[in-house]
This record gives sequence, C-alpha cells and structure tokens, in this order.
Amino acid sequence: MKGTLRRTVVAITAAASVLATGGCAVSAPDAAGWDEQARTSLADAAGEVATARLTLETAADERTWPSYAVVVLAEAEDAAATLHDDLAKVQVPAERREVAAEVLGLLAAAATSVREARQAAVGGRYGDPALMQELDRLLQALESGAESG
Amino acid sequence: MKRYFAVLLGVLTAIGGFVDIGDLVTNAQAGARFGWSLVWVVLLGVVGICVFAEMSGRIAAISHRATFDLVRERLGPRMGFLNLLGSMLVTLLTFIAEIGGVALALQLVSSVHHVLLVPFVAAAVWIVLWRARFSSIENVLGLMGLALIGFAVALWQLGPDWGELASTLSPGEKPAAEGWATYAYFGVALFGAAMTPYEVFFFSSGGVEERWTRKDLGVMRANVFVGFPLGGLLSVAIAGCATVVFLPQGIAVETLGQVGLPVAVALGKVGLAVVVLGFFAATFGAACETGLSVGYSLAQYVGYPWGKLVRPAQAAAFHTSLLGVTVLAAGVLLTAVDPIMVTEASVVFSAIALPLTYFPILVVANDPDYLGEHRNGRLANTLGTIYLVIIGVVSTAAIPLMVATGMGRG
Repeated sequence: MKGTLRRTVVAITAAASVLATGGCAVSAPDAAGWDEQARTSLADAAGEVATARLTLETAADERTWPSYAVVVLAEAEDAAATLHDDLAKVQVPAERREVAAEVLGLLAAAATSVREARQAAVGGRYGDPALMQELDRLLQALESGAESG
Repeated sequence: MKRYFAVLLGVLTAIGGFVDIGDLVTNAQAGARFGWSLVWVVLLGVVGICVFAEMSGRIAAISHRATFDLVRERLGPRMGFLNLLGSMLVTLLTFIAEIGGVALALQLVSSVHHVLLVPFVAAAVWIVLWRARFSSIENVLGLMGLALIGFAVALWQLGPDWGELASTLSPGEKPAAEGWATYAYFGVALFGAAMTPYEVFFFSSGGVEERWTRKDLGVMRANVFVGFPLGGLLSVAIAGCATVVFLPQGIAVETLGQVGLPVAVALGKVGLAVVVLGFFAATFGAACETGLSVGYSLAQYVGYPWGKLVRPAQAAAFHTSLLGVTVLAAGVLLTAVDPIMVTEASVVFSAIALPLTYFPILVVANDPDYLGEHRNGRLANTLGTIYLVIIGVVSTAAIPLMVATGMGRG
C-alpha cells in the first residue's frame, strides 16, 4: 500500500515537473509551426471581424437592442486584441520575419476595426458605410491570408 | 384529467429543462464549425440519457431511495466514494458554469459586466434553493425554458435549403478544413453535454422528493421518452441556426451573445428577447438543479437528512453544503475566469466522469433486492451495456483529444 502511494506521488511529481517546465518555456516554434499558428490566428480574426459586421448589420436593421450589440462587439474586440497579442508573443523564426510583420499588421488592423465597430455601436451609428467597407476589406484580406498560409 | 395534466406538465418541463449552458454553447460551436455533421452524436446522447434516466427514475419510484444512497450500500463505501468524487466534482464545475451563464444572460440585457452580476446571481440561486418549493423550481423554470423553442422557429424562418442541410448530416460531410481529431473532440463534448451526470441525480432525487411510487412510472417514462427527445431537438435547432448563419461566414462561437445572433437575424428583437429569456431560465434552472445535485449526492453518501421537503433546521448540513457550494462557485467566477471556458471544460470532464455515474446505476437497476419485478429487463440491460461500452470509449478518448486539439482550437 505504502509502495503504491510512493509510486503515485513520484508519478504525479514527475508529471507536474514536466508540465511546469513546458509551461515556463518561451514558445519558439519552427517555421511550419509558426505558419500554422499564424493561419489559425488569421482565420479566428476573420471570424471576429465577421461577427462585428453581422452584429452591426443586425443592429442597423433594428433586430437587436443596443446593449446586446455592444456586449457582442465588446467581446469580439477583446478576442481580436488577444489574437494579436498572443501571436506577437511567439518567437518568430528568422525566415518568417517579413511575413510576421504583415500578419501582425493585419491582426492589429482587425483589432482596431472591431474596436471602431464597438465604438460606433455605443454611439448608435450602426450602418456607417465607411466602417462596413473597411470591415469587408479586412475580412477579405484576413481570409486570403489564412488560405494562402 | 389530472393525470393527463401531470403528464403534459412533466413533458413540457422536461423539454424546457433539458437544455443548459453546456448544450447552448457546445451545440452552437459544433454547428458553426461542423454544420449538422455531429447531430448524430446529440441523438446518441439523448437516447443514452433516456436509458439511464428511466433506470434511475424507476429506482427512485420503486425503492423510494435515491442513487447515491443505494450505490454506497450496494457497491460499498470505496466505489461509492469514487462515484461521489467524480460525479460531484463534475457537477460542481457545471454549477459554476451555470451561474456564469445566468450572469452572461443578464449581461446581454443590462450591459453590466458579468463578473459584477455574479454575487447577485449567486445570492438569488441560493435564496431559491433555500426558500422555493421543489415543484416551483422545476415547473416555473422548466416552463420558462420552453422559450428556447425560439431557436426552432428561427431555423424555420431562416429558410435554409432543407435538402442541403440534411445532406450535411453524414460525418463525411464535415468541412474539409476541420481535422478528424477536432471533429472527435466536439463529438465527445456534445456527448458529455447531452449525458451530463447531474441530470440523472436530479431526476432520481426529484423522484424521491416528489414521493414517486410505482403508480408514477408511466408519467416518469412519458417525461423521459417524450420530453427528453423533444428537448434534444432544441439542441439540434441551436446547431442548425449556427450552421445556417455562422458556418458560411467562418464565425466561431465563443460567447453566449453570438449564440443568440441567428435568432436576431431571423426573428428580430422580439424573438431575441424570447430566447434570452430562455437563456436565463435554462441556466438558472440548471444552476438550481446542479446546486441541489451536489447537495443531494453529498448528503446521500454521508447519510444526513436532505431535500426540499425536510425543514431547513432538520437538514442543516444539506443546506449548509448548498450555501458552501454557492459561495465557492461565486468565488471562482469572481476571479474573472471566462464562464464559457468553464462550460467547455465542464462538458468534457462530464464525458470523462460518465462511467463513474452510469455503471453503478446499471448495477443497482439490476438488483432484485431493490427493484424486485421492476429490475432491468433484457432491452434495458442490452442498451445499458452498449452505452457503457460507448461511455468507456468516450471517457478514455476525452483527455487525449482535449490535449491534441488544444480544447478544440486545433
């Protein structure tokens, strides 16, 4: 019984050590790993921009009430900002430096546009054509970035 | 006439009470990413919950004792403790997710951040658990939960090409961009959400609270075999709305507000208001059910008086445990942990803990000492055994899939 307990404690300690060590390491993927993370971030950011667009459109048609639209947009804004920050923390492989600047630029633009969408909703300006066009343009850029990898 | 009314009320509350935060979020997420290609998992889960809820309801009606009480007696304290630990921790996690869900639903109408609403929601849940009658909790919140039928109306109003939608029912029709591991992960999550353990604890303990006898077996079976599948159809409708609105736009569902957007698109403000009321009722009702389930399971294992029919002074330990878990849940949510993340974790951990819940029920339901002539027949045993195999596979696969897909992000 004591032996079993000791083995269990050792196994748990070893597993915790491995997890802790892995958790403390700086994320430094190779080029393929970074590409995959960038692709996922771009696709997710496209989803956030699409959510913002759909929410503004629905609010402009008076199909939601103001607080609902603002809450959905504020959550999309948080998510878009997190996507940029998370990828920015990843060590960029040397051969991806130029692409990384482009990808991070796109993600930053997505976060900014979703923030502007939330600000527009707070101000009751749901159908601003310039903002809608900007969201459409970004959506296309993010989707093509995610597809091209 | 009274009996027909009882059946109708039971079926309606079973439909309205079937969906909780786990079903709302997981079905919308699965629909947005995989269309209807995972609907078969929901149907599999609904049949499974019907099989085991019928067994646990029958145990309550015939033996007049609830699940944990019998599991400890029949399988011994060690197995009973494992059963208690696994099921109670998962139910506690679900309780936290449900309280967070109520706060998220209120945030949608008030704009007040959900963390600020958590103390008020927790206090309201505790007051209801302490003061409200069992039947009031079950009937009022169950009937209000019927507001989620708004999703079925919205799906019809969105006017999808039904033939095309039906053609996505096959697993082979999942979007090519999604990997099989992620598909399997969402399958596990949907199965866990449909078969979440608290449903059977609440159902069987409720049977004891309402003093079911063998005369109530017919009503109980109508609730299970009609109410639960119709409740499952609400899950399918939620997934359908997400499929029609989100899948073509590449929107992944991460918030409760997104879950309601397709209804706004289809039905406008009135429809949206109805389903937000449904969000509130479903999550508040499930918070009460999970809170009570934690208290029930602990009291039934330890053996102290429990239940809403016992005066609080006579069931002090039971009511203290309800207060304790409510404070704990509020404390966890006040750390600003995302309730949707807690929900995602709760449905997967539900799947992991399923064998600990359902194996003992199958054993007790086969015991002639408790159930006499009402013990499991051949059909119940065959279905129960098949489901135990499925549950075993799902439970074993859950953690590897969770790690491999980064909780479905991959």
